[in-house]
Amino acid sequence: MRRFVYILIFTGIVALFFEACKKDSELDVYTPTPYMIDIPFGFPTKLNIPDDNPMTVEGVKLGRYLFYDGRLSGRTHPDSLMSCATCHRQQRSFEAGVDHPDFPGGFPHGITGLQTHHVMLPMINLVWNHSGYGWNGFLYPDNPVEELRNIEDFVRLAVLAKDEIDGDTTITTALFQSIQGYPDLFYQAFGSDKVTFKNIERAIAQFIRTLISANSRFDKYMRGEVQLNQSELNGFVLFTTEEGADCFHCHGGYGNPLFTTHLFYNNGKDTVFTDPFDRYKISGDPMDKGAYKATTLRNIEVQGPYMHDGRFATLEEVIEFYSHDLKQSPYINPLMHHINNGGVQLIPSEKQDLLNFIKTLRDDDFMTNPAFSRPEKFPDDQ
Amino acid sequence: MSNTKKKKKKAMKIISYLNLIILSFLLIGSSCKKNDEPIEDQSGRLNFYFTHVVAEEEVYYDTIRYQNAAGNPFMVSEIQYFISDVTLHKGDGSKVLIDAWKNMHYVDSDLSDTWQWKMKDSIPPGIYDSITFTFGITEEKNHSLMFVNQPESNMFWPEYLGGGYHYLKLNGKWKDTNDVIRPYNFHMGIGQIYDQNSGEIIGFIHNDFDVSLKNSGFKVDNNETIAFTIVMDVNKWFEDPHDFDFNYWGGDIMQNQDAMFIAKENGYNVFSAHRMIEK
Repeated sequence: MRRFVYILIFTGIVALFFEACKKDSELDVYTPTPYMIDIPFGFPTKLNIPDDNPMTVEGVKLGRYLFYDGRLSGRTHPDSLMSCATCHRQQRSFEAGVDHPDFPGGFPHGITGLQTHHVMLPMINLVWNHSGYGWNGFLYPDNPVEELRNIEDFVRLAVLAKDEIDGDTTITTALFQSIQGYPDLFYQAFGSDKVTFKNIERAIAQFIRTLISANSRFDKYMRGEVQLNQSELNGFVLFTTEEGADCFHCHGGYGNPLFTTHLFYNNGKDTVFTDPFDRYKISGDPMDKGAYKATTLRNIEVQGPYMHDGRFATLEEVIEFYSHDLKQSPYINPLMHHINNGGVQLIPSEKQDLLNFIKTLRDDDFMTNPAFSRPEKFPDDQ
Repeated sequence: MSNTKKKKKKAMKIISYLNLIILSFLLIGSSCKKNDEPIEDQSGRLNFYFTHVVAEEEVYYDTIRYQNAAGNPFMVSEIQYFISDVTLHKGDGSKVLIDAWKNMHYVDSDLSDTWQWKMKDSIPPGIYDSITFTFGITEEKNHSLMFVNQPESNMFWPEYLGGGYHYLKLNGKWKDTNDVIRPYNFHMGIGQIYDQNSGEIIGFIHNDFDVSLKNSGFKVDNNETIAFTIVMDVNKWFEDPHDFDFNYWGGDIMQNQDAMFIAKENGYNVFSAHRMIEK
């Protein structure tokens, strides 16, 4: 009898041993399908994906619905609907664009009519941004303020902001809980059909991280699939030479196909700096007065208006500015080494070549990709 | 059997069960344990810590407070560079290349996590007379798209100008002879040879160079880590053997091989090494 008890206890303990050594993934819990990001040729391998929000197929699917669903505002009246996609339009590289029907000139305003402080930044390749989101980079991964670190936080801020959705996270959460189909999608994405705003943030951020643009004509040129014409090649040389237009130090090129350093520069737009939301607000470094993020130039052709305040409507105006209209100040970034000449002094044919090169960064596949587009039906549609 | 004996026997039985349970838990604990016991390192290690000075004073950024040998008042805004091929030299002429190939190091005055380089390769115990390294990246290794992640990828050197990566970006401003403040981009990398008639690029020159650190001899034992502070004196880029005058060369030199050649010649004396004790 005693031997039997010993064997019983020992067997139980051995079973416990195997259970204890079991990996989490072997436990009987719901696990969504991991979403793998394919790294395009020449692109960075380090991704900005927070540990507490891994990418999943189900999360991205839910995020796409939420990104486009006007009930993100917490309201259901047709006049009061507002979502990310209200301003961030795929055909304009997820900016408003100068031809937005509701935001003349591309200057967006919130649901109450209050204009946003700055114009929009494009939602392109944000999964590779490690140095701060927003024109002044106020959301960054190691921010001591935990609520201001990543795209997830941008979602919440956009819902709450008076000059954007002007919503209430509790109301929005309750609304999606009540909409047929959504609780199931939340279960599939996060293992619980209880809708939380945290999971709304996570799902939308996951979708935004899938918005990858890497198939422009320039990408194809990099991959050896197409040849650029002579004017475009001339423009490429101007883009990447100090004696030319010297765009590459801030905006990348072959060796940095993101076409941004994701850093912040005073690029000589003004002599007096009064904007309380420039980089100086974040860094506290006086040399950052009037400094803003160097935007990616991918799809820049459709992303007007340009600069943080949208002062230029066309790329031609931007090139003219960098050629002849730079303004000296104590805060000008040293990389603007043509400042004492007022600019890079391009002649008309060079301006055209540079423009033609910049247009090779347009990625129509990105702007028509069905995976990024408005869903044909929402979860509660029949 | 008396009650006392019965109780004693019962107690013994409980103790036996408990012993078995404890033994089994010990078994579980040891079985689940990762194999992370440190293996005794039969070699030494080398760490570099980078600092930047002007005339022995740590660089004070973004203020025109320095003057170079040519008399140009100047300031420093940021310093970014690669060093590679750290090599240890012995008295018998033999040498050890550490951190070969992949682990060239990027230093950025704005990014504190780049200010130290704890090299992964181990060092055979022994006495070493000196340390050398390559400033920049040698032709053999300086390939475009070798670094795809930022910040290193921001150092790319345009294909048209030779490709690969900047060895150095030293950015700031200087005051010209009319007291006008002008930006400078003292950038080094692959130089170009231009056809004098057409202006086309007809060849490239690799401007990387080997730095031999004075007073960098050391002895290293098993399991010992040797640390050096590697000091860049910014002013030395502009002197010895050539005075570099911004008013003559201007603010940008990427497309000026003559200027980069001067930078290279001056660069041999820019770095010094100082042994330090790590706490």
